[in-house]
Amino acid sequence: MKRGIPKTGRKAGSPKEGAVLKMRLSSILLIGYRNLLINKFRSLMTIGGVAVGIGIVTFLISLGFGFQEMVVREVTKDNPPDIVEVSNSNLDNFVSLDDATIGRIRDIGGVTQVGRSINTGGKFAEGDSQTDGAMYGQDAEFAAMSPLKMIAGNADFGEGSDKVVVSSRLAELLGFPDPTSIVGKTVTYDIILSSETNAEVKGDTVRPGNAIEVGGVLDDRDKALAYFPYPLLAREFGVDLAQQGKVKAAEGAAIADIRTQIENLGFVTENVGDIVGDIDGFFLVIKVVLVVFGSIIMSISAMGMLNTLSVSLLQRTKEVGILKALGAKRDDIFKMFIFEAAIISSIGGLAGLLGGYGAAKAVNVLFDTFAARQGSGSISFVSIPGYFLLAIVGFVIFLALATGLMPARRASQTHALEALRYE
Amino acid sequence: MEPSVGRTERKDVAIRVENVKKSFTVGENDIPVLTGVSLEIRRGDFALLVGPSGCGKSTLLHIIYGLEQPSEGAVFIDGKDIWSHSKDWRADFRNQSVGFIPQQSFWIKSLSVIENIAIPAVIGGKTFHESIPRAAKLIELVGMGKWADYRPYDLSGGQQQRISVARSLMLDPKFIIADEPTGNLDFKAGQEILRLMNDVCAEFGITVIMVTHNVEQYKYGSRIVRMRDGKIESDEENMNSYMRLKKEFPDAKLVEEFGEEHA
Repeated sequence: MKRGIPKTGRKAGSPKEGAVLKMRLSSILLIGYRNLLINKFRSLMTIGGVAVGIGIVTFLISLGFGFQEMVVREVTKDNPPDIVEVSNSNLDNFVSLDDATIGRIRDIGGVTQVGRSINTGGKFAEGDSQTDGAMYGQDAEFAAMSPLKMIAGNADFGEGSDKVVVSSRLAELLGFPDPTSIVGKTVTYDIILSSETNAEVKGDTVRPGNAIEVGGVLDDRDKALAYFPYPLLAREFGVDLAQQGKVKAAEGAAIADIRTQIENLGFVTENVGDIVGDIDGFFLVIKVVLVVFGSIIMSISAMGMLNTLSVSLLQRTKEVGILKALGAKRDDIFKMFIFEAAIISSIGGLAGLLGGYGAAKAVNVLFDTFAARQGSGSISFVSIPGYFLLAIVGFVIFLALATGLMPARRASQTHALEALRYE
Repeated sequence: MEPSVGRTERKDVAIRVENVKKSFTVGENDIPVLTGVSLEIRRGDFALLVGPSGCGKSTLLHIIYGLEQPSEGAVFIDGKDIWSHSKDWRADFRNQSVGFIPQQSFWIKSLSVIENIAIPAVIGGKTFHESIPRAAKLIELVGMGKWADYRPYDLSGGQQQRISVARSLMLDPKFIIADEPTGNLDFKAGQEILRLMNDVCAEFGITVIMVTHNVEQYKYGSRIVRMRDGKIESDEENMNSYMRLKKEFPDAKLVEEFGEEHA
């Protein structure tokens, strides 16, 4: 009665000295996976602990980064980081933005554009309608650096231009319910000149009864504004100073150096980078608080995981014994436990990452739904930076090592006989 | 040590134990367990190591299996001095050449019966996938085919020991070391396991060393090695063993009766 049993293709009893047999990684992972399956509830709780920890950290951090990005985005929207705002010093007005200083700023290395602007007040009239409004005078370069949101006509602030751009609000006040219909009409205006606009003028002087054609309308329903070409004001009223300047830096130029040189001329400079820096500083504090908070949560789930793995080891002492008796090496047993920890922490990490990010996104969607009812546009305040993802991956590995190392070492050092005798 | 009883055929020495001594240190005292044991097991022997509790038979078995280091002496298996090699070498040797049947069956709880049978191959570096076909043949061999997908601890003690036998055969071993494999079984289940082991080992020419203290089981040994107080007391060939009778009288009925009349 010969029974056919397939041989495993090896000559029995011929182990080679030095050639140490090793368990396949796939087998070790399979056993680890099965061990999680057989204690479903406990595995679920342990993985859940890790997932909740990483999920909360991800949720908080993605909101933290998201809010920061949103604020920075809003702040920098109309303020590109390569533009330096220049204004007269408040304390002493011994320098002004005139042709001479504009020329010196233009000579600074790395500066590609210099624009200037004045703001003053005046009266506007068209037909029977009359209103007060703010007046701006800006040159083409200034306009290029902060473009107006036009809804009709053109905005030309160049040398030859003799047309004004008005806000939709101003057009309405002047009797044009459809603001775009004001384009091409001629309006009359009074302008106030001061020592800030003209070097020769002392105190405020009103120059009444001027006429100008409207060349375009910009979108502003709240304020009555008018933008004049600076060259026109210079020609007509002798305007030769400016209250505000904009300097555009070449790509890659050192903004800080340009600012220092402009400040050395006696001006005050501002750059959106200052504000962004302040915002970043504020959010850094918030993020540190979040990370501390998250670390406490994480350490609690790590302790839970360590506990589970230790108990699991104690319950499996006999398994370790039989595996060793049947030829498993220290290394195999070590890997078995460390990979089980790795499976727990990586599944928990992935679930937490997706769950935390998903929850933050859900909050965002909920917020947007309410915002839409209030009539505002949608905003995004959820963001996970790449290095945070890397940090989570690093943390998951750290968690596996920190919680798996001790049980794995203890298991691998268990003697086969001790384990077999263990009751 | 020459066996005292003559043999009908010459068999070569498979396992040689040379003046092995072992003592355990408890507190400050050395407790001698083996006080100089020499033994030769010949290829194809089904040797029973018998004796009262505490006589050192389990310790001797563990030393031969490479789990317990002797204080003195040497163990040669197929001419290899196993205690002169590294720990990992012995682990590989156990894995590749020796089947092991412990008193209590220990299982990997999370694996199925058939996967547990395949474990020695998996430890030796094979995948489960590669090992399952042979495990499937072995589970049929021990008559447990329909239990393949159960959890081992769901089976009865006797069934578990059948699975143990299948697992010990997984890597086609030259030797089987068994430590009171029927110690926890009732009489009938124990008989069945021993017949199974007898049949399988005779068929595949496996050399067996088995510890037992059940006198009823002596008939299953082709050799009886009696131990007492850490020494070999006697070492005899069993001319009336089940194995031998079955070989000489292939009439199954007679052999069955032989089994039953001692029951």
